[in-house]
Amino acid sequence: MTALTIDRINKRYGNLHILKDISIPIAQGEFVSLLGPSGCGKTTTLRCIAGFERPDSGRILFGVRDVTHALPEQRDIGMVFQSYALFPHMTVAENLSFGLEVRKVSVADRQRRIAEVLAMVRLEGYDKRYPRELSGGQQQRVALARALVIEPSVLLLDEPLANLDATLRDEMRFFIRDLQQRVGITSIYVTHDQAEAMVMSDKIVVMSAGTISQFGSPREIYERPVSQSVAGFIGRSNTISGKIAEALGQDSYKVETPCGSIGTTGPAGLAKGAEVKIMIRPENIRTLRHDAGISRQQRAGEAGHGDNALTGAVVNSIYQGSANQLAVKLGSGDRIVVDVGGRNPLDVGEQVTLRFAARDTWLLAS
Amino acid sequence: MSAVEAAPRVEGRSNRGTATWMVVPALVLLIGFFALPYLTIITMSLREASTRAVYGEGFTLAHYTTALGDFYIWGILGRTLLIGATVTVISLLLGYPVAYHLAKSRSRWTSLLYIFVLSPLLVGLVVRTFAWMIILSNNGVANQALKATGLIDFPLQLMNNSLGVTIALTHVFLPFIILPLLGNLQAISPDLAMASRSLGASRMRTFWKVTLPLSMPGIQAGTILVFVLSISAYVTPAMLGGTGGRTMSVLVVQYLVDNFRWPAGAALAIIMAAVAVIFVGLYLRLTARAMRRLP
Amino acid sequence: MTGSSSGVEKTIWDHLFTALVAAIYIFLMFPIVLVVLLSFNSGEFLAFPLEGFSLRWFEALFSNKRFLDATLYSIQIAATSTIVNGVIGTLAAIYVARHATVFRDYIRLVMTAPLLVPEILTAIALLFYFYEIRIGTDYSIGIQIGHIVVTFPYVFLNVSSALFNFDRSQEEAARSLGAGGWMTFRRVTLPAIKPGIITGCLFAFVISFDIFNISLLLKSIGKNTLPLELFDYLRFNFDPTAAAIASLSIFMTFAAILIIDRTVGLRSLRF
Repeated sequence: MTALTIDRINKRYGNLHILKDISIPIAQGEFVSLLGPSGCGKTTTLRCIAGFERPDSGRILFGVRDVTHALPEQRDIGMVFQSYALFPHMTVAENLSFGLEVRKVSVADRQRRIAEVLAMVRLEGYDKRYPRELSGGQQQRVALARALVIEPSVLLLDEPLANLDATLRDEMRFFIRDLQQRVGITSIYVTHDQAEAMVMSDKIVVMSAGTISQFGSPREIYERPVSQSVAGFIGRSNTISGKIAEALGQDSYKVETPCGSIGTTGPAGLAKGAEVKIMIRPENIRTLRHDAGISRQQRAGEAGHGDNALTGAVVNSIYQGSANQLAVKLGSGDRIVVDVGGRNPLDVGEQVTLRFAARDTWLLAS
Repeated sequence: MSAVEAAPRVEGRSNRGTATWMVVPALVLLIGFFALPYLTIITMSLREASTRAVYGEGFTLAHYTTALGDFYIWGILGRTLLIGATVTVISLLLGYPVAYHLAKSRSRWTSLLYIFVLSPLLVGLVVRTFAWMIILSNNGVANQALKATGLIDFPLQLMNNSLGVTIALTHVFLPFIILPLLGNLQAISPDLAMASRSLGASRMRTFWKVTLPLSMPGIQAGTILVFVLSISAYVTPAMLGGTGGRTMSVLVVQYLVDNFRWPAGAALAIIMAAVAVIFVGLYLRLTARAMRRLP
Repeated sequence: MTGSSSGVEKTIWDHLFTALVAAIYIFLMFPIVLVVLLSFNSGEFLAFPLEGFSLRWFEALFSNKRFLDATLYSIQIAATSTIVNGVIGTLAAIYVARHATVFRDYIRLVMTAPLLVPEILTAIALLFYFYEIRIGTDYSIGIQIGHIVVTFPYVFLNVSSALFNFDRSQEEAARSLGAGGWMTFRRVTLPAIKPGIITGCLFAFVISFDIFNISLLLKSIGKNTLPLELFDYLRFNFDPTAAAIASLSIFMTFAAILIIDRTVGLRSLRF
């Protein structure tokens, strides 16, 4: 069932076209992230859903109810702000009580629900504190509790983790996701942090310059990006330019590149001769010392990676603790970044062979 | 070794030593010609009166006892406080909407509106009061307009009484309440109002429950400023008040300049200041309750 | 109340609120506009209807020696106050921001004190004090000192605020590049706080030009500042010449506001 429908909304400020025909269907209980660089329109989209902005055209539906022209207070939303926006002159309990009072919930029910939600965010016993007496992470949880206690139909989160330090941010990702799944509330999450969007979301909307670049699950977006900009925005990627030499199957192609012919996977329907870019993620490339004799056993083990082989020289090596990141310069001049696990046996200047499977590549239209 | 260790300390001390001269002229000015003069008001108020000199020999409390036993002076003191309180309340009621509007405004006219608020402050008091004389006199613009519309046949008495003084002082001191309020309102994050709306509160409820409580410091600062300024104002009541709108400042200047009764005038000035301090103190205690929850 | 900035449609209440605010702005500006209008009116009386455009009241003003003398005297006093405060107020602000340690809050309080008490009380205090220390009011020194005292905080506050907003690491960078204390001040600090000094000085000038109570009690006999002359004139006359003087003073103020707005922006004003 569709809990929230954003239907072709447009928004202009003067001659700036901030949102261009944005449409997003969101299912009941789904966690959807709006992801993109600042200025891409993700916050404006959220503010349209909340009712703080009104789209120039298009509709916003909560279930079957058209809320395009409803005031924010009539929409039954819960919202968590980047600044938390806790009322500084109210205690934690009073902050939580605010939305319940508006809804004329009885005193006894208010107390029960506040206690429940405080337990849920693990802040029992903090009800008499003022926001300024809490740490950033605690304030964050109060803001979440305040939005959830009114049991809204949609939860809106506007970069809620941006002001936390790295460790706490990681912790809160899982905390929010876990809470959202337990409550089962439809949630929309604005962020510019792709790692955050990856680990938390059911669906991701990648936005840029007021349009939707791609809408899909984290896996789809990571493994099957529609463009080089999406591929570049989510995770690290290498690209090699080439031309389609022949279609091998519905979604597999042979691509001619300056480094030779490469077997690839790509979207259906690419024509022979089309200019494409081959995307390969660094973690999907196997690196082998070029001059070392490779045993048959090893070869057998590499079978999956054996579709393609390129040679080049190591030009840079960065130690990252759990892995090493190597930069390899191919004969064609392309630079390829690869991950090498364990202790790095390769030195700068060494010749290497890069192996990767056709199924680990993805073609992007040039 | 010890020389190396000592060097920074010597330099540090000499730095401070050489810097002190910077503040000396200002301190000389403010102690010599501000702090000390205030002490002479107190000593002057305790001097014996004299008909042949500015004051006579010896000290007395007579000026205080005489003033405090004089119903005429009590009346003027009461009128001064009433005018001050009225001006303060009206200024708050008129100033808050302007400050609120200016704090939210993001149009390109904002800068012009800011000039509108500031400029009355920088145009001289005599000029502004003169403008109100043109408006409020018996043949003035206000009475002309009322006659033209047929509302009245005979001019209303709009000046030479408390009414005229109150109207003009409200205009004169309105910017003094708008500016602190504006600073306060601009410092309140707009996210708070949005959070309130997202929780289901209407704009009215948001204003009463969130914005207004958080703007209490601005209200407090602005109202105290306007109250103190209006009870101590001289120019406006002197020009517009006549005898019916005479205030303490006018009376004190009359004692000093026209009657040449410096010791008695000093005592009146101190009584006025003391009353102001007491009122502001009480007001601070009252408003502190409304603000005790603010950070 | 309103959320006028957001892209949400306006309700009837928004329009009512805007109308209320507009009415208050008219209340603020009407008297000032009125004075300027009437100063250019050819009619004999300070009243409507306007009879036609004329500069006769300005001619009357400029042929009036008392007003000219008063204007010059006011400018002389205001300029002296501005220059003196420009120097000692700036120095004091730098001292408080950079060097004061233990007594910083007390020094700051002393520096702003003339703003915190009613001007009439300061005027009375100085009147008595100058009598007691035998300076009296026979010369201009008393009224001049009074003006300096009352306008001092404006320079001090504006320079302090400029210093507060100035990133000190710039000074440290200059020192690390080998610049001495004086060179650092002249090449780095002074340019950065210049807007604050200009604003403070303009403000001090305008305020000093308008000061009334201090001038009333401390002036020497026969020497009037412009506000005093206007005040005296209005006791016996009520004609458009007064409006012409008022207009001139309003133009001067607006010139100062414009200069401040163009150079440093009005919002940086401190008082």
